[in-house]
Amino acid sequence: MDRNQIAKWFKEPSKMANKYSLHAIYFCTGCGIIEVPPVITARWDAERFGVIPVATPRQANLFLITGYVSVKTLKAIIRTYEQMYEPKYTVAFGSCPINGGMYWDSYNTIKHLDKYIPIDGWIAGCMPRPEAIFVAVTHLWTLIDKGMANGYERYRKYYRAYRRNQELALGKLEWPPLYPIGEHTEGGECD
Amino acid sequence: MVGRILQFVLYPLVALAIGVFFLGLARKITARIQWRYGPPLVQPVIDMIRFFYQKSVSHGPVFAVGLIMSLAGSIVVVLFLPFGSICPLSGSGGLLVVLYVMLLAPMGIALSGGQGANPNISIGISRKLILALGYEVPFLLVLLAVMTHYNTISIVQVVEAQRDIGWSIASLPLFLSGVSYLLILPAMLGFRPFDVSTAPQEISSGPLVEYGGKYLLMATIEHALLLFIDIALFVNLFLGGAGNPIIFFVKMLIVFVLVLFIHAAFPRLRIEQAIRYLWKWPTALALAGLIIVTIGRS
Repeated sequence: MDRNQIAKWFKEPSKMANKYSLHAIYFCTGCGIIEVPPVITARWDAERFGVIPVATPRQANLFLITGYVSVKTLKAIIRTYEQMYEPKYTVAFGSCPINGGMYWDSYNTIKHLDKYIPIDGWIAGCMPRPEAIFVAVTHLWTLIDKGMANGYERYRKYYRAYRRNQELALGKLEWPPLYPIGEHTEGGECD
Repeated sequence: MVGRILQFVLYPLVALAIGVFFLGLARKITARIQWRYGPPLVQPVIDMIRFFYQKSVSHGPVFAVGLIMSLAGSIVVVLFLPFGSICPLSGSGGLLVVLYVMLLAPMGIALSGGQGANPNISIGISRKLILALGYEVPFLLVLLAVMTHYNTISIVQVVEAQRDIGWSIASLPLFLSGVSYLLILPAMLGFRPFDVSTAPQEISSGPLVEYGGKYLLMATIEHALLLFIDIALFVNLFLGGAGNPIIFFVKMLIVFVLVLFIHAAFPRLRIEQAIRYLWKWPTALALAGLIIVTIGRS
């Protein structure tokens, strides 16, 4: 811990604690699972920065999605994301969640993950090196500091649009809406 | 009078601070044994601050009440344990009260988990209670041997008796009982060869799976207090307690690091392997210890 940050700790304890205690839940869809073990074990020890993997979305506040997202896994991703408690941050790892990557013309993968759940940070590459996770974490720190890692607030604000996109991809959803979808919910259409 | 009230208020806080320090030390030393650098020592405090500020969802009234019950039980047990010269409630009850109230902590967690209605919680709690069945048998035998040998149920009197004749674990009649307590200590703390109930990879941390935010904060505090209670009881009964808190703390630290080495080096046992171990060696040693103590008295 940096000694110059003590004043900051007293000023904004919640923000600082969120920065330095990122409990991650990894959603390794297809590829990318092999990049995670070196990050959390002895090669590049992510626990130095307070990043540890946890087993349940209830305890986590960082959601790391690696690899391409098929329509079937999208359902699990949305449900996992909605089970996490706020404040929560998401990072998409690899080209595929950004724009489809090499699966850009596949009939069964989704192209832009950002349409379905809000993403705070992207790591481009196919596949990125494990060090890229640390770059993402330090960028996420900067974003949290500036208050720009507000994906969960965007999700609440534009929930109607997100829900509509999710229904377009998955058909009828079998779980109730996380936030009330009423007339008062502001939020435009997005595609 | 004021000093006594201060003791009541400050002693659980000191116990909590020591427990949280142990949690951080556990992560750091485990990391160093695994050739990692490890998190800063204050990492559990940072985590706890985050848990405090995170939103959480309750699954019903008992979900919170069970946790509060287990926390209250732990705090009460702390008050009954002498910590060096500090012992707010040492005059009453002693070992018997500790024995009974210690059961509140797992029961509260089980109650709270029942409301969570997650299958992983049920599996975790059944494993925890089976494991408790495993270590309670040698634990009771050990305490019985101590009570028989010193002819008292008061922990303070046990500590005082050791001041004259030396540590119990170094004396012949109680040596086997002390070794038995050391052997079941990882199971009581839920450390690695015996972390079947909170196994993250198998059952998603078992009873903790639905806790987040402030509930997880309470569960962490309860775990920290549990570390303090089990180790402090061992130091009091077998390592001669201490005249002042600092020496007591150093003794606790040594015992904890010993348990930690086992934690960092061994893989997890299955539940039936754990029970087979617990009912074999520690129970046999505790039973032999009790027989030796009984023969020595007659």
